[in-house]
Amino acid sequence: MIDNQSVYLAISIILFVIGAAGAICRRNAIVVFMCIEIMLAGVSIAFVTFSRANQSLDGIFMVLFVMAVAAAEAAVGLAIFVLMYRKHGSIDLDKFNLMKW
Amino acid sequence: MFDYIWLVPVFPAIGVLINGLLGRRIEAVSKHLIHWIACGMIALSFTVTCVIFYQLLQLPGDQRFYQVTCLDWIQSGVLQTYIAYQIDPLSMMMAMFVIGIGFLIHIYSIGYMWEDEGRYYRFFVYLNLFMFSMINLILANNYLLMFLGWEGVGLCSYLLIGFWFDDEANAIAGKKAFITNRVGDFAFLIGMFLLFTGLGEHGVWSLQFSEVFTHVHYLSQSQATMICLLFFIGCTAKSAQIPLYVWLPDAMAGPTPVSALIHAATMVTSGVYMISRSNVLFSMSPFAMGVVATVGALTAIFAASIGLVQNDIKKVLAYSTVSQLGYMFLGLGVGAFAAGMFHVLTHAFFKALLFLGSGAVIHSMHHAYHKVHCHDDPQDMRNMGGLKAKTPITFWTFLIATLAISGIPGFSGFFSKDEILWQAWSSPQGSWILWLIGAVAAGMTAFYMFRLVFMTFFNECRAGEACEHIHESPPSMTGPLCVLAFLAAVGGYLGVPHALGGSNLFHQFLEPVMGLGDGKLLHDATQAASHGVEHAAQAAGHLMHAAAGHVAEAAGHAAEGAEHGGESMFMEYLLMVVSVALACFGILIAYIFYIRKREIPAALAEKYSFIHRLLLNKWYVDELYDLVIISPLRGFAYFLWRGVDVGVVDYIVNGVARVVGWGSSVVRYIQSGYVQSYAVSVVFGTVVLLAYYFLKAL
Amino acid sequence: MELVFILICGGLAAIASLLVIFARSTLHSALWMVVSFFMVAVIYVLLHAQFLAMLQIIVYAGAIMMFILYAIMMLNLRREQDEKVPVRNSKIFGLVALVVLFMELVMVALQHGVEAIHGPITDQLVQAHGRVAVLSNFLFSDYLLPFEVASILLTAGVVGAVVLAKRTK
Repeated sequence: MIDNQSVYLAISIILFVIGAAGAICRRNAIVVFMCIEIMLAGVSIAFVTFSRANQSLDGIFMVLFVMAVAAAEAAVGLAIFVLMYRKHGSIDLDKFNLMKW
Repeated sequence: MFDYIWLVPVFPAIGVLINGLLGRRIEAVSKHLIHWIACGMIALSFTVTCVIFYQLLQLPGDQRFYQVTCLDWIQSGVLQTYIAYQIDPLSMMMAMFVIGIGFLIHIYSIGYMWEDEGRYYRFFVYLNLFMFSMINLILANNYLLMFLGWEGVGLCSYLLIGFWFDDEANAIAGKKAFITNRVGDFAFLIGMFLLFTGLGEHGVWSLQFSEVFTHVHYLSQSQATMICLLFFIGCTAKSAQIPLYVWLPDAMAGPTPVSALIHAATMVTSGVYMISRSNVLFSMSPFAMGVVATVGALTAIFAASIGLVQNDIKKVLAYSTVSQLGYMFLGLGVGAFAAGMFHVLTHAFFKALLFLGSGAVIHSMHHAYHKVHCHDDPQDMRNMGGLKAKTPITFWTFLIATLAISGIPGFSGFFSKDEILWQAWSSPQGSWILWLIGAVAAGMTAFYMFRLVFMTFFNECRAGEACEHIHESPPSMTGPLCVLAFLAAVGGYLGVPHALGGSNLFHQFLEPVMGLGDGKLLHDATQAASHGVEHAAQAAGHLMHAAAGHVAEAAGHAAEGAEHGGESMFMEYLLMVVSVALACFGILIAYIFYIRKREIPAALAEKYSFIHRLLLNKWYVDELYDLVIISPLRGFAYFLWRGVDVGVVDYIVNGVARVVGWGSSVVRYIQSGYVQSYAVSVVFGTVVLLAYYFLKAL
Repeated sequence: MELVFILICGGLAAIASLLVIFARSTLHSALWMVVSFFMVAVIYVLLHAQFLAMLQIIVYAGAIMMFILYAIMMLNLRREQDEKVPVRNSKIFGLVALVVLFMELVMVALQHGVEAIHGPITDQLVQAHGRVAVLSNFLFSDYLLPFEVASILLTAGVVGAVVLAKRTK
């Protein structure tokens, strides 16, 4: 018999890996951004699961702050995408290798 | 006033600071200010020294000892060193004549260096720095501070030999002096370490003289011998003895006042001073004393033989200095520390005078040549001659010094030299061989010194058209000459031996310092007596006292009626007569060779060309050293450069760089600049980390 | 019963996530993401974290979704340009690494099953005081500092976004 917590963790892992795969493979910056949000959701599920199992609120607060960070990230990240598009006419990540200097 | 002894070294230091930091600007304003500052500081220093010396004389003999601790220096565990000075007869005697002569030579330098544009201030900075170091060397109350001065004078010597460094020969001479001295300094340092640890084993962690000498009996015989020999190696470098004397003749490349101050009167005698200071230590090791005496005697005759044929006026004086230093070590080696120091004193007077006189001659010659635009060597005696009429003051003062160094009775050199020779004969460490070598060297000294005088001042002038332009040097140069001439003439009367009816003030004065080694010497004396020396044990004991500077006492005992005393007195007279006769003989030969029949030297040189060449080329010692030491060292250095440095070290360094470059060229592909590649790196890192934890859990 | 729910919601979330990745249109991706986040919210409810579930819907499906849609609108991105760009090796390598990572994570989950630690937040407590009350008690006492920091972070994010996206003349 598989207990519920293992199932929750499995979902968490699956979501995380799917998100990561998308983040690595997709070229559209906005989709990559969404995939990162999925990764965060996967991790959040794990946090909440442990929180419940341990009868503690710590995991829930962690998720709360993850959400805050995600919101801030969304604001800044999307602003950056707009900027990128304005400058280069594209948000195809394969066309940007600005980090190579 | 004793507590103000620190003023003595501080004044020259102030001179160094002022002239050293602001000299260029001061010189631009007024050259006079430079030498006023430099000479003024030495004058102040000398004044303080005189006052302290006077006060020292007021004390009774056994209380003439005072130490002043000025500053903490090195405080490290058991090593507690202070900047501390010691006032006793030996240090004050030395300080008196060093600072006094230093002052005269400062004044002399004003005239001699006046035309050296742009470097005038530097010369005085170096001179003041030298005085500072030398005073530290002399007044130090511990070996470490002494070593500081010892190194300091070595540095100044290097700086001043290479003062005209635009001529490469001078720079090389400076280097030679410095490197040769390093060898000796190294030995001195090791000796100091040995002494420190040797006494430290017995709980006496100190390098302070008073501490060391009261506990010196803790050292074993072999330890003492080792330390003494190492110290003596230090002395052979600093005081130009065989085998490390080679730098001194070359050091004459420096300005003549420097040769007079550093390489004749003061610095080179610091080795003698150091051994006299350590007389207690040396008294423990008869073997080391024997080495000192032998090396001294050999140096005396060896250098004198080279001096016989040199043509450069300063080279002759240089070899003469080496030879006279040999005398001093001969005196020290036979236990006559006071006699050695006495010769240091008189030698300082007449040798400084000789050098300053030769400097005046060179100065005159240089000017004359300069006027007629001739580029002959102004130091070559073959170009001189007949200067007696043109430079009378120089001539007469020079003559006095020559008489003094030749040991003509009445002049200072006579008293000190004869005392050393007498001790070399009579003291238990001495022997007739040492005496003979010394006496012959004395005859040679008289010969080559008078050869110098005759070639320089007598006969006709050989300088060609420049002759008319030769004239006397400025008063700032002749003034010191006259003062020194007076001292060279009468300086010896400080130590008239008892045999000549004197009271030997000098020995009495130094007795508190030199007497420390007495007990040990007495021990040796009884040993010598039991070995069948003719003297009765008692008389021998008294003579031992004499060896340690107890002439007064010994003579007193002798007068009490032992016929041995009378016998030895007779011997003393006899030896005195013999050595004076040898000296006169030398003068006579010089007279015949260089005034009367001037063709003889050339004929002799031709006849015995091998010996002549041998002497002219200084026994080929430089060449020998070059072959045995310098060339192999050079080869080894070349090997280190080409083989080790370029071949191995550089290869490794370059190899590392190349490997890194290659690695980077590979790794650089990771840095693609694409964000997602970096994300992959993060994922990969996570995989590895997790794998690590799994593997660890296994 | 709960397990069934979990499996259904989890499966839907996973499928929606996959569709986010595989959708051709960015807009479709965004919509599939909303589905995925709804499913996650349901899972939160199943985990007795109703407050989080509400937040999840409001913040993600509401606010962040709005951001994304605005961005898509502004950038006028209907679908990815279909330029044939060769796939970089690093992506393939990354996928392989991800598979390994997946297996490793599963191993972690299997090997170190969650052992219940009996913390202070029991069901009785929650039932007595109410879920949000307990939560806010902690949030405004023990977690006050992180809470304030988060507020500063959000302010900074807003300011940053404005500064970045502002059209400079």
